[in-house]
Amino acid sequence: MTDAFLNRRDLLLSLSGVTAFAALPFPAAAQVRARLVVIGGGFGGATAARFLKRAMPSASVTLIEPNADYYACPFSNLVIAGMRDLSKQRFGYDALKAEGIDIVPDAAVDVDPVARTVSVKSGDTLPYDKLVLSPGIDFRWGAIEGYDKAAADLMPHAWKAGPQTVLLRKQLEAMEDGGLVVISVPPAPFRCPPGPYERASLIAHYLKTHKPKSRLLILDAQDKFSKQPLFEQAWSDLYPDVIERYGANEFGRVVSVAPASGILSTEFEDIRADVANVIPPQQAGAIAHKAGVADMTGWCPIDPLSFSSTLQPDIHVIGDATIASPMPKSAFSANLQAKLCALQITAILSGQAPEPTTLTNTCYSYLSDDTAVSITGVYTNADGTLQSVPGSGGLSPLMAEDIIRHNEALQARTWFHTITGQTFG
Amino acid sequence: MLKPSVKLTAFALFTLLVSACESAPAGTQTEDASGEVADLSAPAILALSCSGCHGPQGGAIASLEGRTSDQIRLSLLHYKSDVDGGSVMHRMMRGYTEADIDAISTYLAESVTE
Ligand SMILES: Cc1cc2nc3c(=O)[nH]c(=O)nc-3n(C[C@H](O)[C@H](O)[C@H](O)COP(=O)(O)OP(=O)(O)OC[C@H]3O[C@@H](n4cnc5c(N)ncnc54)[C@H](O)[C@@H]3O)c2cc1C
Repeated sequence: MTDAFLNRRDLLLSLSGVTAFAALPFPAAAQVRARLVVIGGGFGGATAARFLKRAMPSASVTLIEPNADYYACPFSNLVIAGMRDLSKQRFGYDALKAEGIDIVPDAAVDVDPVARTVSVKSGDTLPYDKLVLSPGIDFRWGAIEGYDKAAADLMPHAWKAGPQTVLLRKQLEAMEDGGLVVISVPPAPFRCPPGPYERASLIAHYLKTHKPKSRLLILDAQDKFSKQPLFEQAWSDLYPDVIERYGANEFGRVVSVAPASGILSTEFEDIRADVANVIPPQQAGAIAHKAGVADMTGWCPIDPLSFSSTLQPDIHVIGDATIASPMPKSAFSANLQAKLCALQITAILSGQAPEPTTLTNTCYSYLSDDTAVSITGVYTNADGTLQSVPGSGGLSPLMAEDIIRHNEALQARTWFHTITGQTFG
Repeated sequence: MLKPSVKLTAFALFTLLVSACESAPAGTQTEDASGEVADLSAPAILALSCSGCHGPQGGAIASLEGRTSDQIRLSLLHYKSDVDGGSVMHRMMRGYTEADIDAISTYLAESVTE
């Protein structure tokens, strides 16, 4: 060994228990490697696992995810509207395995941030040097009186894709013409801010085409909503007599439900729905609370330079579980945060300090089967928080020829193909 | 002799990001024994945002394969300065400085190759 190679980085690597990979004469020494564990194999976690492995091939990367199949939420509103097959939403982890990522097909049940271990349901304990959490959301069951797990079998949320998506689709198919569909929208923050309104547009398209006497009512706990001018324009142009919405200031917030009788109650009235889609209030996935990385809001505060938890050392949180506003809770954001987080963990383990950068988000929403609009944001993480860059971002133009809406629908498809390919492909 | 476990060049990550191709760029940095490298430079991190949409296959979103840095720079600068434009790229580029655009263009041209 010569001094030329013994730099600050090497010292830090050995101090953190991460010995540098090297052609040492003693093979055992080369066995000591960074143990990187990722919880949750969605858009955030699967991407993070891949990028950690790519950036640090001599580290061990373990992904804990209980489900063999992942059902993507983006484009699932098309499935609900009968425009797409659920099988196109399904992805797996074979490509990750082939890259040398260890998949633990189990649920993480606890995290000990002091001992730096994760325990899984089967009873095993996994040690880590760095842990990345991307558990997505959990619902606040009971926040709407009467809306618990069992209620979701009658009034689906369809806010985690899979069987719930199919259930809502089947209910719409079974509904008689002339029926009333109700979508209940929770207060912010929630996963995919424009998602409920994309869903309303696409269900309205289905109703207009197949059940023209039917109506759709949005009961909304928000006053304002994402892409509002674009959605409202589309609703009056495309579905003038189909969609109606009560915002929070018009007593739109649902406070209780009676699933067996199909009744949703606001503070003002009781409404009987033929199909009720209740999107419940949300919080970070339960494991984030167990790990002590969620705060009183139910979400996880992070340092946006590397998405490290501000509450626990050696834990990073990405995706929907984080407090990253103005970055929305989107698959685009989760995927980008994962890449940034993986590279910054690499930097940290190499003794480098993460530098500020610029991040973006783009979310497309369908208005009909072949038109879409988008929202774009550009953010800096330079000042300890994420902030929108003034003068950038925004919505698709309000006055636009059809070709622009068609193009954005095609872009959305390409985006879905690219992002799912990067995450799972 | 000790070698750092993490080697940095301007290539492997973007290859993973946007392209299935495997060739290395001419003479940027040394690879380690495994041939695996990670680029932690500011331009590489800045360009992460591009990779969510710009895949190798193109489609309705342009592929960046085979573009020179000048080609990329000119179109990004056009998006930034064209005040009437409403596309995703117009709205996005207004948030980037010319220095950012220079860095991204050079990086993408070097790292996204056939
Ligand atoms: C209807 C709808 C439409 C949407 N459309 C878009 C869109 O067009 N564009 C867009 O960008 N985004 C869209 N989104 C949002 C997007 O789906 C989410 O933002 C994204 O999935 C967040 O990624 P994540 O990694 O944080 O969470 P997820 O993708 O939900 O992944 C979390 C994973 O963690 C696993 N997990 C949870 N707890 C544990 C545990 N204890 N142990 C192990 N594993 C665990 C889960 O099984 C899951 O696989 C949409 C969402 C919905 C509901």
